[in-house]
Amino acid sequence: MNCPMEDRRPAILVAYAAGELDRETASALERHLADCAACRPVAAGQAAVWKALDAWEAPSVSPDFDRRLYRRIDEGARLSWWERLTRPFRSMPLRQALPLTAVAGLLLMASLLLHRTGPTAPVASQHEVVGANQVESTLDDLDLLRQLSTADSAESGHPDAM
Amino acid sequence: MGVAAAATLDYDAELMLRVKEGDGTSFGVLLEKHRASVIHFVYRLVQEQAVAEELAQEVFLRVYRSRSSYAPTAKFKTWLFRIATHLALNWLRDERHARGQERLDDGPADLPARQISDRRPSVEQEMVREVKREEIRRAVAALPEKQRAAVLMHKYEEMEYTQIAKVLGCSDSAVKSLLFRAYETLRARLAHMEAT
Repeated sequence: MNCPMEDRRPAILVAYAAGELDRETASALERHLADCAACRPVAAGQAAVWKALDAWEAPSVSPDFDRRLYRRIDEGARLSWWERLTRPFRSMPLRQALPLTAVAGLLLMASLLLHRTGPTAPVASQHEVVGANQVESTLDDLDLLRQLSTADSAESGHPDAM
Repeated sequence: MGVAAAATLDYDAELMLRVKEGDGTSFGVLLEKHRASVIHFVYRLVQEQAVAEELAQEVFLRVYRSRSSYAPTAKFKTWLFRIATHLALNWLRDERHARGQERLDDGPADLPARQISDRRPSVEQEMVREVKREEIRRAVAALPEKQRAAVLMHKYEEMEYTQIAKVLGCSDSAVKSLLFRAYETLRARLAHMEAT
């Protein structure tokens, strides 16, 4: 016989074992289980799992759990900025912390280098630009003076202008 | 979002908003309410009591430290278990990389402390219980990590699929799939306990 619940079997039987079904649905399922050879062993198995998991007790909590927690909270409040910065890395395994530290170090060095060379580079190039302008301007001035001088010579009949 | 608005979400979120405003007592209430469930959840995931408590400390520390940026966008418990799951799964991955699966094959080195009650079981009964507990522990430990987390939240925390999905960062249908596969594996390993 084909079971009409075949597709929904896991969902319904897990919910049934967990006591999540309403009374009406649970009763209908129980009637079905009485007749269905496919669902019955799954329901029994799930009930056994549920019961087994119930038997798995967790140990009781250490009596000083809260004291330890509040001590850590207090310690955290007293940390210096450096300790706060490095705290995430301290609980990390070495193989994770090393690459992260290396990357952080590289970034720090790059930042320092950029900071050091950054402002000086534009200033230097600015000097170069100003210098070139000055030279060009001076050459223009000299050229203008020479032209003026030539014009004066021509007007005064200076031999150089010939 | 203010305290009044958060009340519509859940009471824990309201408490956390009070923590955000500097109320240390509310943090104590949240700790008292969720301490055991977080430790037990992490313990069943990592199966080492000392590690479970250490990770649970980290969970509550993170909750406390992130109080100033807390925004109740989900249930507080969902957020709390998201942190706990994240830390526990990370620890399991690190541990697996470091030691392989040998720890799971170790003997019952870190079994839970025995409960002392007035009706003390006989030595034989206790041995049977111990063997059974060990079998359950191994069956759960053999599940893939996400399946394990899903089963523990469903079974012991009685979380709905949607809430588990939010904790694990996946869809509801993915959670159903994780759970059904996990229970299928557990049925295969533990169904014989039915008669015991």
